[in-house]
Amino acid sequence: MCPMPIVHLAKKVKEMQSGQILELLADDVGAKEDVPAWCSRTGNSLVSTEEDGKLLKFYIRMK
Amino acid sequence: MADMLCMVVSEGTFDKAYMPLIMGTTAASMGTEVHVFYTFFGTGLLKKTAKPKLPGIYRLFTGMFQKKMKAVGIPSHDEMMQQAMDLGVNFYACSTTMGLMGIKESDLKKGVKVLGAAAFLKLASESKTTLFIG
Repeated sequence: MCPMPIVHLAKKVKEMQSGQILELLADDVGAKEDVPAWCSRTGNSLVSTEEDGKLLKFYIRMK
Repeated sequence: MADMLCMVVSEGTFDKAYMPLIMGTTAASMGTEVHVFYTFFGTGLLKKTAKPKLPGIYRLFTGMFQKKMKAVGIPSHDEMMQQAMDLGVNFYACSTTMGLMGIKESDLKKGVKVLGAAAFLKLASESKTTLFIG
């Protein structure tokens, strides 16, 4: 649920290195808009998005 | 204008307690500098003993509501405030309200700073976004 996907994402990013791809799974419908917004604000790039039933999968390349 | 979010919280009910924490943790996660100023009934939310209740008659259903929030994965008020602080969100207690309501600095949660209106307004004047959580 909002805002947890974004908060977890921001925490995880600190452990990642540039160029690495992070897979984020979320069950919050709001994440559909929130994750792209987070990416554009932080300068990371959203590689792809998948929908698997209620589960959303995001692949984000670290800047 | 700096990439900053300033919020004023003037009510101490459960719903008003969560809104700045949700907005604040999200903004901080997006790299925005966040400052939250608590005044009047909002100030009590910064006390170590804070146990916010839903407004009006709904206060009786606070426990039920908390269980529901836990079930969907939203942390408790205390946990969420700690999480916000870990992300660098700044929390301020209004110095005048503290005097009015007899709140001592030692009553406040660790990490909360005491601030006057002028100092907060200076921050707000430099920030891109300022919200009032009434």
